[in-house]
Amino acid sequence: MVKSVIYTLTAIVLCLVLFICVELYVDKQFEDFSAAVDTLYKKVEDETANREDGYAVKEMWLDKKSKLHVFVPHNDISYVDYWLNETCGLIYIGDYEGALCKLEVLKEIADALPGSYAVRLENIF
Amino acid sequence: MALIFIRTTVIFITLLFIMRLMGKSQIGEMQPFEFVITLVIAELACIPMADTSIPLLYGIIAIIAIFVLHQIVWLLDLWFKPMKTVICGTPSIVINRNGIVERELRKNNLDVSDLIESMRTAGYFALDDVYYGLYEANGSFSALENPDKSTSSLSLTLIESGTVDTKNLKKAGIERETLDGFLKEQNAKPKQVVVLTVNSEGRVYFQKKGEKYKILKLEVNGQW
Repeated sequence: MVKSVIYTLTAIVLCLVLFICVELYVDKQFEDFSAAVDTLYKKVEDETANREDGYAVKEMWLDKKSKLHVFVPHNDISYVDYWLNETCGLIYIGDYEGALCKLEVLKEIADALPGSYAVRLENIF
Repeated sequence: MALIFIRTTVIFITLLFIMRLMGKSQIGEMQPFEFVITLVIAELACIPMADTSIPLLYGIIAIIAIFVLHQIVWLLDLWFKPMKTVICGTPSIVINRNGIVERELRKNNLDVSDLIESMRTAGYFALDDVYYGLYEANGSFSALENPDKSTSSLSLTLIESGTVDTKNLKKAGIERETLDGFLKEQNAKPKQVVVLTVNSEGRVYFQKKGEKYKILKLEVNGQW
């Protein structure tokens, strides 16, 4: 009986710690990514962005996504991949207007995704 | 992650509530919360296993949530008796010294034929073979045997909850007029009868709504 209570409490405490850590970690990863996208957005707006800028953001994302796969549904990650690749392609061919549209979507995804895993009433139901 | 835990808890509580509402007919010798766990645990394990787009951790967290909920329900069961009644329910006495308690059967979404079936499974082939019959909280049937039980043949149900079974009537070789006459003698209409069974020796178990059962005699062909 005492053993069962200890197991249960341990499981609850470990889960709580894990939940808090995961939430903070996922938020931080997307915050960093969002900041990088913002920087790229400004450069594209000024039409000064080049291929390397796009690839720098992409590399940063690739590094983050390998860890995020553990905590975030893989489909959500693939949305970011898809839009980011399109952005890089458009920057490469010099289509800054098109790239801006894609970056808008990326910004929205980066801002909204962590919220969709947060403990909120609308996410529970 | 926490979201998965909370969603699992919501589903668990909903299922448990629905299972309690469904009564003992749906449980089958498990406590309601054990039955709920059996229902969800396989799916929880399989979905992240088969669907590669879902992180495996989601399945693991959901299973841990089920473990925690199981432990909490179990501890509540042990420590707070009123909670045991809420979570697991209480035994329902469906047969007493007066006969079948229809209200208890209805409460558990069961009918007289379900009761007769449970009795046969428990080895009792006539309704008066037991003094008391009850469905435990886990849905199993228990009975206090009547020491004078004298069943030597299978009983046919002629009327159940006010409905006449014409097939069994024919099998027993009883004319509808004979049955009507028998009911008239008892001052009852078919609609007022909880149950009327007859065995091959013509021994009748008759119970009118709101009254104690009677053991009577009726002429039958005895060919079953």
